[in-house]
Amino acid sequence: MNVPVRLGPAELSLIAQLTGAGASGEAERLAAAGLPTRKVESYHYTDLKTLLRAVPELAGKAEGVSPPALRVAGAYQLMIANGVPQESGTAPAGVIVGTVEGSVLSTRDDVLVRLNSALVKTALRIDLDGSVDPVIQIDRRTEGPAAHAPSAAKIYVGDNASAVILETYSGSDAAHVTNHATYLALGKNAVVTHITVDLSARQATHFATNEYVLAEGAQLRTLVIHAGANVSRTHLFPKFAGKGAHADVTGLNLVSDGQHADITMDANHAVPHTSSKPLFKSIARGRSKAVVQGRLVVARDAQKTDAKLMAQGLMLSDEAEILCKPELEIYADDVVCGHGSTCGQLDEDSLFYLMSRGIPKTEAETLLVRGFLAELIDPIEDAALNEALTAVVDGWLAGK
Amino acid sequence: MTTPMLEIRNLHARIEEREILKGVNLVVPRGEVHAIMGRNGSGKSTLSYVLAGKEDYEVTEGEVLLDGVNILDMDPAERASAGLFLAFQYPIEIPGVATMTFLKAALNAQRKARGEGELSTPDFMRAVKESGKALSIDSDMLKRALNVGFSGGEKKRAEILQMALLKPKMCVLDETDSGLDIDALKVVSEGVNALRDADRAMLVITHYQRLLDHIVPDVVHVFSSGRIVESGDKSLALELEAKGYAGFDEQAA
Ligand SMILES: Nc1ncnc2c1ncn2[C@@H]1O[C@H](COP(=O)(O)OP(=O)(O)OP(=O)(O)O)[C@@H](O)[C@H]1O
Ligand SMILES: [Mg+2]
Repeated sequence: MNVPVRLGPAELSLIAQLTGAGASGEAERLAAAGLPTRKVESYHYTDLKTLLRAVPELAGKAEGVSPPALRVAGAYQLMIANGVPQESGTAPAGVIVGTVEGSVLSTRDDVLVRLNSALVKTALRIDLDGSVDPVIQIDRRTEGPAAHAPSAAKIYVGDNASAVILETYSGSDAAHVTNHATYLALGKNAVVTHITVDLSARQATHFATNEYVLAEGAQLRTLVIHAGANVSRTHLFPKFAGKGAHADVTGLNLVSDGQHADITMDANHAVPHTSSKPLFKSIARGRSKAVVQGRLVVARDAQKTDAKLMAQGLMLSDEAEILCKPELEIYADDVVCGHGSTCGQLDEDSLFYLMSRGIPKTEAETLLVRGFLAELIDPIEDAALNEALTAVVDGWLAGK
Repeated sequence: MTTPMLEIRNLHARIEEREILKGVNLVVPRGEVHAIMGRNGSGKSTLSYVLAGKEDYEVTEGEVLLDGVNILDMDPAERASAGLFLAFQYPIEIPGVATMTFLKAALNAQRKARGEGELSTPDFMRAVKESGKALSIDSDMLKRALNVGFSGGEKKRAEILQMALLKPKMCVLDETDSGLDIDALKVVSEGVNALRDADRAMLVITHYQRLLDHIVPDVVHVFSSGRIVESGDKSLALELEAKGYAGFDEQAA
């Protein structure tokens, strides 16, 4: 073979964990390739070899749980603690909760997907039918001393069903490395909102992979919020598999001094007449880095695809860095696709205008930042959920 | 003698090395309305921005007293709470900030700065509704983001609505008449006139006599190359309309 890769402590721990889990094939693969560096396109700005210095032991059973990071009035709560789906209360109408063995994600040549698929034993499974009333909250916790906690959920939403699903990630204040997966399939004409909010401890490293498959006429809105871990990355894989499917794939990186957050999307418009409107925003302050990578792939048959990708960044300090990389890979000829990105600081004229009405500087800045985010939060119709997300944003703005 | 509402003494200001205001002297007594007229680029908007505290401008000399208090060291928000209001020549569009949210934030911030309690939501709504009605502002407009998608005339009306709500002591109106149709000009002027008060003063910047038919000024000033070169009663505006600025430029030189 070629030159052997020099393996660091993180890789050695992962290899041992894979071997221990009986995934020796994956262990060998990782030993040969190492963690992805900036040379791997999709990790170009999030070099795992540098960012992931160490990986703690695989999580044991969760002993006690920390208080919930985000409460939404009226939500139906489900919990995955240290990777293990927990017993839940009586499910509301249209909701069936169970578990499923093995991996939930489609096979992909991506180290986080591979690790998740090899290490998760039991995933949470949810089946949703009809118009599901309460918000379904999957509360993913990593408790106890620093742990490596892979977890997974597989969600099926039936034809014509509608649901709002919130996933939150939090836990004890330790240097956890989490690697979460969600597979969400939308039946014909299903209408789903899927929100994932990272509120992990400041020392933690948070990874998530969200795979979506949209059948004919399905309407999806997603919102990823990174507002916790020191390093966070969510990789989104929406697949448009039926005519008329549409997704508003949205995301928000909130980074403060020392943090690194990355939202990467690979959208696959596989059939004709589908549309997507990915919109990603980042706000960075202190010495921090936010990354948005958005790739739209339009298959040869996928005529009439309508896809518009937008990335916007707001820098609240001179040392902040926001990197946006849009990519179009279009094999069909009759499509409307585009992308754009803007990045800047708070608009001085706007700030002056607000202040000239008596609004003090910090309050005026908050109003402008909220204004910047309104496009992401406003579409969340559930009042309690909207309020909870607004609180997350305000909490971040207020300091931390 | 009572303290004037606004007193500007030998005000010099520059932007990026370029001096724009070159020794402005102006006294606006309480209860009076003064008009400023002058060529494009003579520095009228600059004066209004410097009064309101825009950062881009550097004041190199002079003083500005609002009701006897020097405001040059205050930031724009403090000046507003001290009673200064600028109706912008070009109001700024702010996407994502709802007009009502903004109005409430401004009103409550000023009340707080003055040591007054917050206005209750019903009281606030009532106040906005009343002022809006007087200015024929429809409530749909107020549901939109601040100034976003407002027509030129709607923006100007919204400025006067803010003024009516905030009840400043000193109002500076920068070309509030531009972009208004004939009916709107009347409505806005009535709105402004309704705010004329013995304890309030106004400085109205305009190019046209037409506005001054509605908002009749006590004094008219001619602004040229960064200073006031002539002052007189309302007939000065008529004279300007007839003769243009040519005769006044000489005096500035
Ligand atoms: N940011 C800036 N940088 C450089 N010059 C500027 C800047 N802003 C304004 N000026 C200049 O200052 C001068 C005065 O401008 P100002 O807007 O005050 O004029 P005005 O009297 O209000 O004109 P108008 O009647 O057209 O509104 C102009 O020559 C203008 O080009
Ligand atoms: Mg002007």
